[in-house]
Amino acid sequence: MIDFIDYLLGGISSGAIIALMALALVLVWRSTRVVNFAQLGQAMFTTYVALTVRELTGSWFLGLIIAMAAGLVVGVIVHFLVIRPVKRLDTSGAIIATFGVLIALEALAAMVWGGDPEAFPPPINNSGYEVFGRIWPFSPYDLLVLASVVVLVLALSVVFTRTNVGLAMRASAFNPEVARLSGVRVNRMLVLGWAIAGLVGAVAGVLVAPLSTLSPTSFDIFLVFAFTAAVIGGLDSLVGAVAFGIGTGLVIALVSGYSDSSNAPLVALVLLVLNLLFKPEGVFSHHKARAV
Amino acid sequence: MEALVQRFPGARLGVNAVTALVIWGLLTWVNQVIEPLMSYYLATAAMYATAMFGMTILLGLSGQVSLGNGALMAIGGYIFALTSMNWQTVPILGTPWNAVWSMVFAGFGGVVFGAAIGGIAARLRGPYLAGLTLGIAVGVPAIANRFPELLGGENGLMLQVPYPAGGYTSGDTSDDAVDDGGEVPLDEEPVYEELPDDFGDFEEEFTDEFGDELDNDSGDLSDEDLLTEDDLLSEDDFLSDDDFLTDEDFTTEDGFEAGIDEEIPEEDLLSEDDFLSDDDFLTDEDFTTEDGFEADIESDAGADLDGGSEAGGGADITDPAADLDLAGVDAGVDAGFVIEQWQASMAIAVACVVGFIALNLVRGRQGRVWQAVRDDPIAAAVSGISPAGSKISAFVVSSLFAALAGAVFAQILTYVGPGAFTLGLSLSLLVGIVLGGRNSFIGAIIGAVILVWLPEFVLDVSADRGWQDQITNNAPNFIYGLLVVLVVLAAPGGIVGGIQSLAGRLRGQAKSSSSP
Repeated sequence: MIDFIDYLLGGISSGAIIALMALALVLVWRSTRVVNFAQLGQAMFTTYVALTVRELTGSWFLGLIIAMAAGLVVGVIVHFLVIRPVKRLDTSGAIIATFGVLIALEALAAMVWGGDPEAFPPPINNSGYEVFGRIWPFSPYDLLVLASVVVLVLALSVVFTRTNVGLAMRASAFNPEVARLSGVRVNRMLVLGWAIAGLVGAVAGVLVAPLSTLSPTSFDIFLVFAFTAAVIGGLDSLVGAVAFGIGTGLVIALVSGYSDSSNAPLVALVLLVLNLLFKPEGVFSHHKARAV
Repeated sequence: MEALVQRFPGARLGVNAVTALVIWGLLTWVNQVIEPLMSYYLATAAMYATAMFGMTILLGLSGQVSLGNGALMAIGGYIFALTSMNWQTVPILGTPWNAVWSMVFAGFGGVVFGAAIGGIAARLRGPYLAGLTLGIAVGVPAIANRFPELLGGENGLMLQVPYPAGGYTSGDTSDDAVDDGGEVPLDEEPVYEELPDDFGDFEEEFTDEFGDELDNDSGDLSDEDLLTEDDLLSEDDFLSDDDFLTDEDFTTEDGFEAGIDEEIPEEDLLSEDDFLSDDDFLTDEDFTTEDGFEADIESDAGADLDGGSEAGGGADITDPAADLDLAGVDAGVDAGFVIEQWQASMAIAVACVVGFIALNLVRGRQGRVWQAVRDDPIAAAVSGISPAGSKISAFVVSSLFAALAGAVFAQILTYVGPGAFTLGLSLSLLVGIVLGGRNSFIGAIIGAVILVWLPEFVLDVSADRGWQDQITNNAPNFIYGLLVVLVVLAAPGGIVGGIQSLAGRLRGQAKSSSSP
């Protein structure tokens, strides 16, 4: 039982980060109906930027801010250079194009920063709290991660539910034609969606890097986790992405704890297959899946 | 040709067979005349092409974006490795095992897994399928870590490639794929331990491998020409464990020399008399006909004896296992083959067989079914085609090809492991097929050539410009990524599609100018 609690505690922060990554995928899907398989490639790139800034200035927080700005810019660039021209053609073209971006970004990061894993130390203490004479696998850094994710998700939900821009974004996602007729500049909303997704992904990248190491391909596995969470959540539901992001993180932590961490990708795969077989439209989706 | 095919329904098969045979003959000839290093590239390109024929069917004809083909290559590679390492005879049939059987089982494994994945994939479209297969590409190689005893874990498995009898030589000894035998660590000595057994079993192996081709009645060889048991070294002739230097002997550089002199008594070393003399061997004249497969006994025995003398003489005493294992190199110059040429001829043969199957499928009814479902699944369903069945069959066929390519890959690397079948491999298959042109097999071949050529080209440029390693090693992928985006934007048909549309435009101009 105490093991169970340990594993759950250990999975909370990574679950929260997976939730952010899934959120980024969902934001892009809602705006352009594209799954951005380069999303975590972008996050990896901005995390390297954060690492560089941090090494130059010594400030983790400044690194985070610059990475967020870089994520925003990279998201907009990818949208304008790749997605907008491709989207007119076909869906498989858009998918392939995002993989092209992923390959190029990973190679670019390896060219600039080298391919070897680099340590990205946590800004604050990452050893567990001691309560009741026992060390629990939940550290001040986990608390920081959790707090950052909560703040970001709350901010996003305020933007989406309480502001005109948020309303316009939801309208463009829900029905672009009607939104356009109602005077919403839909194309701007699409760009905004990509920009916010880039920012959210950048935060996720900076937060997750201290939990392992940073290398050009170290986020590949998180792409699988985030995709799993986003799809189970319904791909267009922000709430679903957050809920199942955390859920996926906890399940992975439990399975890794009770068996071995090398099982994690297989667990994600099994979750994904089960979901796609039995509820392909996702749990929180507004849309019915197409039959054929 | 079309008219011919229409008149004789069976002619399509013949045309495809002739196409495949001509290409096979051409490549086999090319393989004989080029440098060993080029043969190695040829082998790799043929392996990529084999896998990408499957991508042509899956992505081009059936319209499904899959990243799982690298994982299916892993399945084929592991099945090849496991069967070739563990099987002396084929289960159920009981016939002696050989590499072809491992290929067959690898392909069978690919079909089974392809059917399983296809069954799920048929319900999915676009990004869902891409995401699922991405999960497969990342997750399946991780299975090896779950079963470290069986699958070798992160380190993978080294496999004994069933090279033809006779020694081999290598044009590029610096290549990892070639000198695996030479890198046996000092603390492992399995090959050395096995050597005496090999000699004992030699007659059996020989009959097993060549079966009824062994024909002594041809009269080319008389019994006297054959070595007798007495001519072979006995177990006593080999050095025992005690004769070898221990680690302690290697304290200083000087100690190396000293250790040899002091530790091994002269009488333990083989003398010249213990070896077969030249007269004991068959000469070239004895091998006039194909039946003269006996040659392999001679050259092999000779080679191993040479190796033994080297090890015993202390020339390379640190690593007896490697020397005995690679002994074939000495004799191979005459009797054997170049290892890269062997790799290439194996890969070419598989690619041509797969290409022949692919041509027949695509140019026949099945190809039209796949295209119909890709272009309009509802219309296809109304016409009595099962969209799900079509998608599954495309998956099964591409998985079969991927698994065969994986088995070829395993033989080229002489290794299978998670590190060989990464997400990067799946992505490079996607890159190749998109760049070459996803709608034709020519595109797959062009893509395969690009995948092999571009890194070498970048290496050349880098050598001229003096780039750092980290740039040189990653520049190809960077270029691939950019090219993929460019191709999707500007020429979705890839190079082949681009050339076709260019040719079409030129023809149109010619027509409009010629008819005022």
